[in-house]
Amino acid sequence: MTVPMGDPAAAAVDPAEAWAAEPEPAQKPEEPSLSMGEWLGRNLFSSAVNSLLTVVFSLLVLLVVRGLLNFMFSEERTWRAVKTNMRFLFTHAYPQDQYARIWVCVGAIAVLSGLSIGLLARTGAGISVKKLSINLMGTGAVIAVGILLREPSAVVDGEGMALHRDLSAAAGDSFVDWLDANAFAVLGALLLANLALAVWFNFQGTYLRAATEPRIAHGVLVLASGGVLIVQQYATGEIVRESFADAMSDRAWWWLAVAVLAGAGAALWFGLGDARRRNTFVPAMYVFFVGAGVMVLSGWVYPWGHYAFLEGEFIAEPGSTVAMTTRLPWTVMWALLVGAFMLGRMLRAARAGPKLRVPLNLLWVLTPFVLYWAVLRDPDLDWDHVLSTDIPMAVFFAVFGGLVVWYLTHPRIGEAGRITAVVLVAVAVLNWVAAYFDWYAMLQKARISFLLLAVVALLAHHFAGDRSQRMKLVAAWVGTMAVLHWMVTLVNSPSTVETPTDALIGGFGITLIVAVFTLLLAFPMGVLLALARTSNLPIFRVLATGYIEVFRGVPLITLLFFFTLIFNLFLPQNMSLVDIAGATIGFALFSAAYLAENIRGGLQAVRRGQYEASDAVGLTTVQRTLFIVLPQALRVSIPPLVGQVIATFKETSLLAVVGIFDFLRIADKVISAQSEFLGVKREGLLFVSFIYWIFAYNMSKHSQRVEKRLGVGER
Amino acid sequence: MSVSDATTALTEELAARDDMIVCEGVNKWFGDFQALDGITAVIKEREVVVVLGPSGSGKSTWIRCINRLEAHQEGRIVVDGVELTNDVRNIERIRSEVGMVFQQFNLFPHLTVLDNITLAPIWVRKRPRDEAEELARALLERVGIPEQAEKYPGQLSGGQQQRVAIARALAMEPRIMLFDEPTSALDPEMISEVLDVMKELARSGMTMMVVTHEMGFAREVADRVIFMEDGQIVETGTPEHFFTNPSEERTKLFLSQIL
Repeated sequence: MTVPMGDPAAAAVDPAEAWAAEPEPAQKPEEPSLSMGEWLGRNLFSSAVNSLLTVVFSLLVLLVVRGLLNFMFSEERTWRAVKTNMRFLFTHAYPQDQYARIWVCVGAIAVLSGLSIGLLARTGAGISVKKLSINLMGTGAVIAVGILLREPSAVVDGEGMALHRDLSAAAGDSFVDWLDANAFAVLGALLLANLALAVWFNFQGTYLRAATEPRIAHGVLVLASGGVLIVQQYATGEIVRESFADAMSDRAWWWLAVAVLAGAGAALWFGLGDARRRNTFVPAMYVFFVGAGVMVLSGWVYPWGHYAFLEGEFIAEPGSTVAMTTRLPWTVMWALLVGAFMLGRMLRAARAGPKLRVPLNLLWVLTPFVLYWAVLRDPDLDWDHVLSTDIPMAVFFAVFGGLVVWYLTHPRIGEAGRITAVVLVAVAVLNWVAAYFDWYAMLQKARISFLLLAVVALLAHHFAGDRSQRMKLVAAWVGTMAVLHWMVTLVNSPSTVETPTDALIGGFGITLIVAVFTLLLAFPMGVLLALARTSNLPIFRVLATGYIEVFRGVPLITLLFFFTLIFNLFLPQNMSLVDIAGATIGFALFSAAYLAENIRGGLQAVRRGQYEASDAVGLTTVQRTLFIVLPQALRVSIPPLVGQVIATFKETSLLAVVGIFDFLRIADKVISAQSEFLGVKREGLLFVSFIYWIFAYNMSKHSQRVEKRLGVGER
Repeated sequence: MSVSDATTALTEELAARDDMIVCEGVNKWFGDFQALDGITAVIKEREVVVVLGPSGSGKSTWIRCINRLEAHQEGRIVVDGVELTNDVRNIERIRSEVGMVFQQFNLFPHLTVLDNITLAPIWVRKRPRDEAEELARALLERVGIPEQAEKYPGQLSGGQQQRVAIARALAMEPRIMLFDEPTSALDPEMISEVLDVMKELARSGMTMMVVTHEMGFAREVADRVIFMEDGQIVETGTPEHFFTNPSEERTKLFLSQIL
């Protein structure tokens, strides 16, 4: 590997500070940017074949984009169904008066993200102003095309709702009619003309870099093709309910967005000279922060979204559109995110990164549990029980276990340590056997704590060390016990938040929660399974292989049905599993099998020499696995692991099939059953896909950055 | 020499206090192929032994048997008074006594140079981190690259990596160092920097067993040269005897090809 990793202090220059400074003096003479025509000529029309491909594929893209934009901007679309149901889509029936809890969760994640990004992320070179400007203008142009490419031939009823598309009404200008009817024939002819041109210029021998005629000719033909498409759009448009001007003025806000985007892009473009445009870089993070800030602030300017409806009329009651009810919290979230980012950058400047990395990662792992069970659920604690049983038990295990850990990590513990560990394991197992046969009563969490202690005792001698090392291990144990007992107490307390369904929260909330808990469960399982499958011990190997093959061979949906419907029948009388928990277990067991195979690939990529070197310096098998093999194996498996994470995230949409009100089900079943939006499905589904895509795309982008930073594939 | 003869010879030798490595009729097979065939040899404390031989003669296999990277199937290997058996505790003890340097360096690519060196002292020898880091920096000084402590192995040249590997082995304060072709994977201009470190180590009195093709090193540093072929020890002697007046035909042939 040639790229440094881990320690940010090792990086010589912080790119975040470097971007504002002068770019390093280039030795090579600067080549001027190509003009638009030259760029097109070199990249898209460099040869006859290339020209042909460009023309054919740009027409195909135009057709597809036309269909999508048409769909989105059509008068027949009831986007109000989505706008009105934002609350449903994201949280389902979580009570409105408890909404502050949701914002606490979002805020906690904003703060953690800001801190992590500020402290650990390298901004890299960032985006050049040129690229930024092209992207801004390009987005503006796409939206503009979308507004223009409308599908206006709709017949509306008295309330302004679209009934159906009226094709029979098309009449008027004969040329436009003819063009409309023969659009595809004309497109085909233009395409053939393009082809003929390419061949002609080829034989002429003028298909050289310098020749401009072929490019101009192709350009004219492509523009003409696009024109045909647009004309075809408007061919039938004149006769319907609204004039072109009306339609455009309806979309005044969209036009404003186009103007802002294109204006900002153009200002950047013309504000800087060619060289500075290319050599000035803006960190992507800042672009994101500014973009998010503009979106948040826009809520204060324009009341986005619809919320209330009255007797079939949609009204944006003052103070009740999505923008009005959420702009204050969103502004706070934005401020938290940016504030935490600044704080992170300050800590980074103080070289606190390496020290804070582990606590921050721990916080990330803990956050989902705390947010779900302590914040969203608002548990009703039975303080008598907490004071009489829960706290004393936690203290007992913390102290007793802490002493055991301290004793067993003594550097020269030897045989006495082994015997102690074996005794503890025996007692831990006895507790479970006793509970099964009712010999003596012991709370389940006590049995779990004891079992955990026994496992720790077995492994303790691998981590023996000096005083400070042992203190750290004891602190880790005490911390684990505190969190474990706190969490178990919270889980065992009833929730005070009342919802009409079994689940606390629905919509995108449940999608995220199930995905996060699935991965938190599946990842350790996957690592253990992968290690077991590559173990020297046949029993582990056989069990792990059996597990993986069985769970990879069963359709996920059958697992979900099993764990939500059938599994409860196997449980003892007084136990049952709520649907969400069952589904999460099903997802986790399934994902673990796939994660295990990915990690196994990584394990096989660790070279033989690494094992030999670890053995030669005297590391034990456990130490070798933890310190040498796993770090390298996981690094190699990052790309497939992220693929699996994305897959798991998307697979949570199967929750809709087992009757849980997740994101997809709300869009598919709930909205379309509302009396105001009977049968309106497509808008919701498109919106849901878009949100899924945003998340999945960002995950894959992030993994690419991580891969780059860790230098995967460069050894 | 038959195995029983060797055993008698060894029982006497075992009494000697300064025997660091004792091999007695060691046999090893990879499948049907016999890699080691009745290896019997004793290496004394502070002795530097160079093992020579054509490729495939079993040199590496032998040296890897001594810290149990490979398990021998017959015979005995006693290292510093501890016999190598399947008992894990014996193996762990011997491995912390014996340092090894590999042809391919085998540094841990995800750890800095300093972490590479301190890992085993901290986790195997249970040393406090500060102490281990101090030792590591002293060792880096000794192998001549104190300024590379914070870098990652991938950022170093081959010669520097091999010197880090030597420092890593020395950090365990071993009584014996094994070198398995330490310069074979290096560019020619880097070989001498590694050999210099090894010579310094030999002069300091370390017991060393070196598999190498560097005849100059063998001539200058070795107390004894062992020549192997087909898994057997063909000839043993001082470098002087070995290079000027070898007694076996096979040794002469090998030397004529290589020199």
